Amino acid sequence: MSILSKNLGPRRTVAMAAVATAAALAVAACGSSSSGGSSAAGSVPGNGLGGSGVLAQSVYDNAPVASAADMPAGSTMAMIKQKGQLTIGAALDAPLLSQQDPTNGKIEGFDADLAKLLAKYITGTTNVKTVTIGTQTREAMLSSKQVDAVFNTYTITPERASQVAFAGPYMTSGLAVAVKASDNSIHSVKDLAGKTVIVGSNTPAVTELPSAAPGSKQVAFGTDPEAVQALTQGRGVAYVQDLTLLASDAKANPAIKVVGQPFTTEPYGIGLNHDDAQFKAFVNGWLQKIEADGTWAKVWKATLGTVVEGTTPTPPAIGSAQGS
Amino acid sequence: MNALTGHLSELGHGVVTTVELTVVTTIAALLIGMIIAILRISPVPMLRGIGTVYVEVLQNLPLLALLVLFVFALPQIGITFPLFTSAAIVIACYEGAYMAEAIRAGINTVAVGQAEAARAIGLTFSQSLRHVILPQALRAVIQPIGNICIALLMNTSLAAAVGVVELTQAANNVNLIEAQPIEVFTGAGIAYMLMALIIGFTTGRLERKLAIVR
Amino acid sequence: MRNDQKLLFDEPGPRGRRRIKIATIVGVIAVIAAIALAVRQFADHGELAADRWQPFSEWPIWRYLLTGLWATVRAAAATAVLGGAFGLLLALGRLSRRRVLRYLAGAYVEIFRTVPALLLIYVTLFALPHYGLNFSLFWKLVLPLVVSNSAAFAEIFRAGIRALDRGQSEAGLAVGLRPWQVMRLVVLPQAVLRLAPTLVSQLVGLLKDTSLGFVVSYTELLYSGQVLSSFTHLLIQTFMMVALLYLAVNASLSKFARVLQARGGRLFGRRRATTLGTRYRRWFPNGEV
Repeated sequence: MSILSKNLGPRRTVAMAAVATAAALAVAACGSSSSGGSSAAGSVPGNGLGGSGVLAQSVYDNAPVASAADMPAGSTMAMIKQKGQLTIGAALDAPLLSQQDPTNGKIEGFDADLAKLLAKYITGTTNVKTVTIGTQTREAMLSSKQVDAVFNTYTITPERASQVAFAGPYMTSGLAVAVKASDNSIHSVKDLAGKTVIVGSNTPAVTELPSAAPGSKQVAFGTDPEAVQALTQGRGVAYVQDLTLLASDAKANPAIKVVGQPFTTEPYGIGLNHDDAQFKAFVNGWLQKIEADGTWAKVWKATLGTVVEGTTPTPPAIGSAQGS
Repeated sequence: MNALTGHLSELGHGVVTTVELTVVTTIAALLIGMIIAILRISPVPMLRGIGTVYVEVLQNLPLLALLVLFVFALPQIGITFPLFTSAAIVIACYEGAYMAEAIRAGINTVAVGQAEAARAIGLTFSQSLRHVILPQALRAVIQPIGNICIALLMNTSLAAAVGVVELTQAANNVNLIEAQPIEVFTGAGIAYMLMALIIGFTTGRLERKLAIVR
Repeated sequence: MRNDQKLLFDEPGPRGRRRIKIATIVGVIAVIAAIALAVRQFADHGELAADRWQPFSEWPIWRYLLTGLWATVRAAAATAVLGGAFGLLLALGRLSRRRVLRYLAGAYVEIFRTVPALLLIYVTLFALPHYGLNFSLFWKLVLPLVVSNSAAFAEIFRAGIRALDRGQSEAGLAVGLRPWQVMRLVVLPQAVLRLAPTLVSQLVGLLKDTSLGFVVSYTELLYSGQVLSSFTHLLIQTFMMVALLYLAVNASLSKFARVLQARGGRLFGRRRATTLGTRYRRWFPNGEV
């Protein structure tokens, strides 16, 4: 499971609220058009092949590149530029976030494209070396410097901030609820109190659910396709997962639908080595640039925007999450 | 250390589940293994075929794939079990195939004269197995069976992939909160090591007690 | 069936044969009926729909899976060869007369039999680079597996050698062979042949252990299957295909090992296996004892 971790911090600023509202609108639109979605989806299960989620090459060609002055000698970015390649830790199996296309080996998705843009910024090419990581190995990979950065929908939490540094947050999402398309009894996370709920085994849902739906019994599965299959087979009444994944699942599988609004806020950051404040400032500077010139929005639209309905949200303020 | 001591109850539950799963699965696997081994040397050709097919198929498939298919594909043909039961059944059947091979190897080490003598005094197939062959066969392969038990213990961690909260999954959950993978997973590794050492000691003692001195 | 296994029961007479035949026919019909019912149920749930199997008619998907398979086989072969050789040395060490060797080998085997392979992989991945030992991806997977599996191989070899009739080694010593010659010429060939089923089991298990490769980002078959299943959103079909691939490879491995065993350890060359008897006749052609 590629995603997330627990967010223990308090709630946020107006910027977050704006993003949350936008996401809520998207989900409301999503939930109400669930029956429309089944016919409009057109994508029969198994049609993940081809097309959606691929960013146009022109976006890469026009992406900003750092000047030599930004990368002093001996700094991490100068070393990366010398190597000619950015090494990141990411997943290969998170659709629309960081998914490898088996037919051509390329990795596409929101996280993956941002990594390519960072590589372009530093080295001038989109040359990225992806090292597969799991939630167990993220912090250790960063502290032993085997990767330069982690793009893995890595939720910023104070506990993690003591092990790694976070640039960003670069995106905000939240946990949402998916149920079987034929189920009309559940409308929000509160309806899940005392019921059996499916979660992903290394996701924030494990720690958030007990407070959001007291008395609920959790059944955890290792990967997203398994959890979706379990939901359709009735091993739980609902599946709680990050909105982005649920939206992508609901689009691919008309048997499930997303209901209600996200009930948590998860700020995602770029994981960096803890002791490298210079690199963190550099990456934050890059993030500001691509958010200001619209590149961030273009990446969103090409990837997550294909399943999350509504307008493209505004990116969260950098440094606004506790620990970032 | 705080990461571990702060979550002892969770990790303790995980250990208990792992032990439960291991014990249940070991007993079931031993039974299945003996049955399949007997099937493979039985007089009826069809039974021999069943035994061979069982061992061939189950040994040659990865356990994770078997778990996933059992938990997710079987409900599509109408059979649904609760998750712990599913994990126990699959791991027992899987390790049972290995047990069957080990027991069969043990049966092969029993001297031919034993079988001849058993038949000579008029014992039937099942009687000679029960009183003459199997006791000697099992005593000869205690070490390989111990190995299989240890492998079974390590394989229970795969049950985490289908929702059973055993030690590895408990450690994952703790790590989710604490973000201290080295501490947490070393602790879990040591717990597994202790359990495996217990199995190893028991096997060693059993082997010394029951060894056939020739 | 081996002839000595047939010693456990009498050849069935005419009535017995008839009963066996009837039971076999009834059994086969029952099995076929059960399978047909299962397939029907499966289809009812839409799992046999063409669009669900459509990705597997495309070559790039198979190429991806086969690349993963090749990576698995490479890792498994390296682990088997190194682990088996080292395991044999360890087993001999444990059976040696020198106490130091015995204790050292014993300690190694006891420790690494009980440590989970995943833990060893984590150590190789995180702890060793701090001491400057940074290997390539392939060796980051293979070395921990070798360490872990060599302990298992050592136990298997040791059990097999101990299970061999003591008269064999006594006879070898009696004809004047040194202890290591007895081991090499008399005990090991027989023990290894007898252990062949267990060794092949271990080999196949090792092949499946390589699925831990995803921890070190080594893209082997099982992880490739997971990536594929999240790409196509098809869980059952992808895992069925992956399972079939594993089955094909492992079954051929087992078959190959059985063929090898039947030929007495020789792949090509003389049809007749070199048994102890023929060796003996070579040394003492005139029949002296």
